[in-house]
Amino acid sequence: MSVAQAGAAELRLEQGASLWTDAFDRFRHNLGAIVGVALILVFVIIAIFAPVIAPFDPNEQVGPLATNPAGPGNGHLFGLDEQGADLFSQIVYGARLSLLVGLVSVGVGLTLGLVLGSVAGYLGGWVDSFIMRVMDVMLPIPSFLLATGLVTILGRGLTQIMIAVGITNVPIFARLLRGTILGQREADYVLAARSVGVPGPRLLMAHILPNSIAPVIVQATLAMATAIIDVAGLSFIGLGPSDPGLPEWGKILSENASRLEQSVHLVFFPGFAIVLSVLGLNLIGDGLRESIDPKLRA
Amino acid sequence: MLKFIARRLLTLIPVLLGLSILVFAFVHALPGSPADSLLGERGTDEDQAKIEESLGLDRPLPIQYFFYMRNLLSGDLGTSVSTRRPVTEELGRYFPATVELGVAAMIFAIVLGVPLGFVAAKRYLGLLDNTSLFISLIGISFPVFFLGLLLKYVFAVKLGWLPTIGRVDVTRTFDHPTNFYVIDALVAGNPADLLDVLKHLLLPAIVLGTIPLAIVARITRAATLDVLSEDYVRTARAKGLDPRVVDRRHVLKNALLPVVTVIGLQTGLLLTGAVLTETIFAWPGVGSWYLNAIRFRDYAVLQGATLFFAFVVLMVNLAVDVSYGFLNPRIRYR
Repeated sequence: MSVAQAGAAELRLEQGASLWTDAFDRFRHNLGAIVGVALILVFVIIAIFAPVIAPFDPNEQVGPLATNPAGPGNGHLFGLDEQGADLFSQIVYGARLSLLVGLVSVGVGLTLGLVLGSVAGYLGGWVDSFIMRVMDVMLPIPSFLLATGLVTILGRGLTQIMIAVGITNVPIFARLLRGTILGQREADYVLAARSVGVPGPRLLMAHILPNSIAPVIVQATLAMATAIIDVAGLSFIGLGPSDPGLPEWGKILSENASRLEQSVHLVFFPGFAIVLSVLGLNLIGDGLRESIDPKLRA
Repeated sequence: MLKFIARRLLTLIPVLLGLSILVFAFVHALPGSPADSLLGERGTDEDQAKIEESLGLDRPLPIQYFFYMRNLLSGDLGTSVSTRRPVTEELGRYFPATVELGVAAMIFAIVLGVPLGFVAAKRYLGLLDNTSLFISLIGISFPVFFLGLLLKYVFAVKLGWLPTIGRVDVTRTFDHPTNFYVIDALVAGNPADLLDVLKHLLLPAIVLGTIPLAIVARITRAATLDVLSEDYVRTARAKGLDPRVVDRRHVLKNALLPVVTVIGLQTGLLLTGAVLTETIFAWPGVGSWYLNAIRFRDYAVLQGATLFFAFVVLMVNLAVDVSYGFLNPRIRYR
């Protein structure tokens, strides 16, 4: 390579190193993050191709009814449940539910929090004070307890549960977004855009939000992990989805908690499915946080 | 300092007022009435009306709220519908159990987490660092109830080393005036009692403390890394101070500031974790009390408990803010 070529390559490298390419580069070299992405990809593939992967219908009786169902073996990778259904097929279909739960709950929390936080941060004044005081009132209530209360009010359908868990995320997203927007509002590029006459809503949507979104993405990934754990926890205390035949991991686990001694597989497999999916999301969230802001290594 | 605390307490008033309205509205939005759960399926409409009248539930909501607030301000949280005991009395009975469990869990988390995070930071990017980071992430990813079930299965059921449920052996007669069993056993001076209480405490505390342990270790690591690159650490090393003294006096002390914040932020998590942990180990604390209240639609208990939990979280946050001043003299309160 000639000196001129090397110089040109160096120049290109400098130009290309924007915040996002830089972040992507760091993410790519983070082993934990890659493991996380791989884990979640596996779960996404399982969820999408559940009917192909699962050998049986998750609610179909394929073995004998039993109080202490048989563990792995006899063509049943994870064993049977007390209804004689194939546990592996249930876990496979459960992946759909868990991903749905994570996406929808965070979607609900993110949308509401985004609207409230950006309105508060952008408008300021009494709107800001009012919205933030309401969030302040919600924050000290432990989120899981808030979720139990909301589920008791809204009902125990899967949709209601996802909404309830989503609502508990609203104050966190609202505060996070407001904070970053406040920081961006007075930035030079915003003042520049304002001075050339960019209208308010466009300023918020096209300039401020894209520059405030990084910490929100990190938080959203971690919140998905919490949402999956929370819904499983709700199942555990008897407030899980009441819809019959839903192979929700937390539900399978808690329904069989008392059978732990005889049929450990009924607790072990759904439990580890939860751990692995949550671990995947946490690894991604961690990796994202590190790559967006290498100073935050927590 | 006192002025700062007073001002912080004043700003809590609107938050608490808002909380009381929120919790009141919340509890009254619950479907079904306490009369339903009291009467069961055989109750007639008249019985129901009678009970609702006796509980004041037939009055308009603002009036109910007014009476509720009046009682609240005089320290009366109402009477539990299911046990007919005052909520404050029940709180006094159940809260110590949860505090004992929570404190034990936090001790477990701090005693292991701080050294672990510190050592990991000193070996930044080394094998130990990466391993402990990964293990702590696994710890965070474990649902409390799953970990609880597994540990209970292994150590209590399979190995039989530890008891499975409760705070003390049922056959043991044991005086507990403060309801903090560890303290009561210590005061009574009976080693057999103390041993039994500690044995019951161990497993639930580990279960409840695992997630805080992982979080404390991670924060200690991050904070230590930040401090290690500070100028004053380099200066201290440059002037030839014993590395151990630098670690102790300069690094660790400064790194503990964010750790204290995080420990404070764990309170909410501990209360949540307590609900699940107490369910698994039949621990008679506020967690299982709260769950029963949901089951029986016990308005007074739900209101009282939720308000109380939020109050505890707010108070701990205040205590954390105040403790900054002691840990870091650079922070001045205005």
